[in-house]
Amino acid sequence: MKDRLLDALRTSRADYTEIRVERTWGSSVTYRGRRLESATATEDQGGFVRALHRGYGWGVASFTSLERLPAMVARATELSRAIRVEDPIRLADVPPHEADALLDLDGDVRGVPLAEKKRLIEAYNGEMLAVSDRVVDTLASYRDEVTEYWFVSSAGAMLHELRPEVTLSGTAVARRNGTIEKGLESIGLRRGWTGAQSRSAGFRAAAERAVALLDAPGVKGGRYPVVLDPELAGVFIHEAFGHLSEADFIYENPQAREMMTLGRRFGRPVLNVGDNGAEPGLRGTLPFDDEGTPTQDTPLIREGVLVGRLHSRETAARLGERPTGNARALSFRHAPIVRMTNTYIGNGRGTFEDLIRDIKLGVYACGAFGGQTLLENFSFTAAYGRMIRDGHQAELVKDVVLAGNLFQTLDRIERIAGDFRWNQMGGGCGKAGQGPLPVTEGAPHVRIEEALIGGDVPA
Amino acid sequence: MIERLLDDARRRARGADAIWRRVESTSVSFDWGRLKAAGATEEAGIGLRVLRDGRVGTAGTTAVAAAGELVDRALASADLGGTVELTLPGAAPLPPVPTHFDRAAGASLDDLIAIGRGVLERLTRDGCQVSVGIGRDISETRVANTAGAHASYRTTAVGVSAEIWRFAGDDVLMIGDSWEGCDLPAQDRLDALVRSITDRLERALRIVAPPEGALPVVFTPPGLAAILLPVTQALSGKAVLQGISPLAGRLGQQVFDPAFSVTDDPLRPGRAASRPIDDECVPSAPLPLVARGSVRGFIYDLETAARANTRSTGHGQRGIFSKPVPGYTNIIIGEAGSGNDDAVGELGGGLLGDVRDGLVVDELIGVGQGNVIGGAFSHPVALAYRVERGEITGRVKDAAVAGNAYELLKRIGGFGTDGRWYGARHTPSLLLEGVSVARR
Repeated sequence: MKDRLLDALRTSRADYTEIRVERTWGSSVTYRGRRLESATATEDQGGFVRALHRGYGWGVASFTSLERLPAMVARATELSRAIRVEDPIRLADVPPHEADALLDLDGDVRGVPLAEKKRLIEAYNGEMLAVSDRVVDTLASYRDEVTEYWFVSSAGAMLHELRPEVTLSGTAVARRNGTIEKGLESIGLRRGWTGAQSRSAGFRAAAERAVALLDAPGVKGGRYPVVLDPELAGVFIHEAFGHLSEADFIYENPQAREMMTLGRRFGRPVLNVGDNGAEPGLRGTLPFDDEGTPTQDTPLIREGVLVGRLHSRETAARLGERPTGNARALSFRHAPIVRMTNTYIGNGRGTFEDLIRDIKLGVYACGAFGGQTLLENFSFTAAYGRMIRDGHQAELVKDVVLAGNLFQTLDRIERIAGDFRWNQMGGGCGKAGQGPLPVTEGAPHVRIEEALIGGDVPA
Repeated sequence: MIERLLDDARRRARGADAIWRRVESTSVSFDWGRLKAAGATEEAGIGLRVLRDGRVGTAGTTAVAAAGELVDRALASADLGGTVELTLPGAAPLPPVPTHFDRAAGASLDDLIAIGRGVLERLTRDGCQVSVGIGRDISETRVANTAGAHASYRTTAVGVSAEIWRFAGDDVLMIGDSWEGCDLPAQDRLDALVRSITDRLERALRIVAPPEGALPVVFTPPGLAAILLPVTQALSGKAVLQGISPLAGRLGQQVFDPAFSVTDDPLRPGRAASRPIDDECVPSAPLPLVARGSVRGFIYDLETAARANTRSTGHGQRGIFSKPVPGYTNIIIGEAGSGNDDAVGELGGGLLGDVRDGLVVDELIGVGQGNVIGGAFSHPVALAYRVERGEITGRVKDAAVAGNAYELLKRIGGFGTDGRWYGARHTPSLLLEGVSVARR
């Protein structure tokens, strides 16, 4: 394959050309209730070529038939030539790497029969169904993938990797009369068959939570001191802040750049935020991004002040900064764009109990059913919550929706506990039609001085 | 190709069906005002389903050259698969529907660039950033099964999207719109796209305080997503089968306002989702789902229909790698017979005259989160305008709207004159009374 790629590369007349080829073996098994919904294996393959002539635009071609590789190199160079740009596109230098970075497959899923995968997820599904008669429906799915990946560029890069991934997810639906509640479990790992074992407890807990929520009152809407658990805090920092630190949002946009000026204060000195694509063992981790740049730990907010952002080679060159290894593509079907990897809120001090000790009345918001950020506004639906009364956790509450303005909310993060953890969830991040891209988030418990908890809107 | 696969499958299974699809796409994008990239894709793949011993198995691949292994993989999947007695449809005449337009298929890269540049230039203004994208797909689909049904058709699809961004300190405003169809857009469509964006931008520059209380709210075609999503989810046969559709068991009952209708029409001319046959070899036909406020039907594919003891409505949708699921094509909301084209209407669709104090909602945040199908919603506004004495007075921020979609759709205060396609849905603006509006 390498020779084939290098031969194709040599035919390009562009100033810069890169080729990616991927071959992905995948399988998935899904249960709904006691019924097996599907068990299937797939094979996906294809390539991607990107070419750039000095003074012209990007020409991009993707394809599923590898016989078409030389023709698609020609097509990409021709597309580049079709676009004249006044302001030349420049790429920040990255030393070309040659690597055979075979990630640890952790029990190669390709050697495991589909029937065994079925038994595994059937057992986890059974854990949810066994919790109570009130669990009326479940959805449980196992999904795995191994991608063999090649990247070559005319700058001399030559990468070959095997990338494993396994995800497990469960939804338990509990019902009593007209009331329906859900509990979710989601695990996503850049690992293999071994990593998928011994995960029963999380599935059971999801079903128990769904049942418990049947008796829980809806939270009373209003402004409260709010403590986010590490999972919701991680989702919050990814959605509400992380996307603004992706440099493609600002690099051609002077007003946005002003909003995101380095040195601007975004929070109090307790707040540290970063993105680390090199942290071992996480779902967003890879040795190189899809432009061949090594991944790294990039500080974004240090002691409350904006200190960095995430870059591709192009955005880095435009802003006179260094590439950070964040140019990622969902697959060979897509061009790399600036994306997060493993995004985190840095550790603080003390325990969760310390964090809530002086809260008379507040809300402890846990887990995430979903979240959306639109520019500076966000809305997150927590999986469940607990009231905090007189410094202690009190009753379970549901319909906890956290909504607000990003800048105000970041500035109201007043305390951060010392119990950091990575949340290795499935799902992923969507941007510009490329999703779900594997990412991870991590955080400790985070306390927000005051935030709007809603759902209930008074008529 | 798929004929050979089906022959092989026929020898080893009770039945099988397959889809082969090839798509060639061309796209150009103007990011933040600059034309920077042009792209081409060529993609082909095969999805196979086999039936053996009352079990169903599927397999898919883009490695078309090695597709021989597909039958083995699909059979292995069937050995584990769920039991269901599927009946594959036989050969049947196909309804005529134009899906391929030579002008769209023949458009050059420069033609697409010219369309984008025209939109960009008309949207460009001081203090704002504009992004425009244009894409054109040419596809060929073949579907066949072992019961003798087979068909192939070609489609073209063109999409134009544009968004304008305005930053004023920490106030970020983004207004976008898009057009899609089978042919290249006529000039008046592009005019309407530009006007839709500039009209909403100009009216958004002034920020006013939101009202509060149970108020009349005009939901625009994009703004209706939160109201219509529960309804379309509930009208899926899959939701009925799962026991989560609030409309299950309401067939023939008056559930909505007598002027409210929902139809799915796979034969609508000019629409990119139109096709003569679904992905499981069932010929296409328009399907009334709600007529004059009464529930008339649900969408089904072969498997959900078999399990619900009914017939497929021709709504089987299938990717290369996944098994078929029920899916909509072109959803038409409103009075029956409406929705032939995009009306060029003003913001609010002529419904503002009677509103003394209320809102126009164009976009909400968080639509689709939580328990959508139940109908209850509560969302902060992303783009909404205050209406006072029949006039838009400015944009409101920091407001949220809430209500129950099924309750609100029981009494519709008015249908706008601005019926248009937005994504896969054709709808006018709707005036709904008694929507909860709160300040944040």
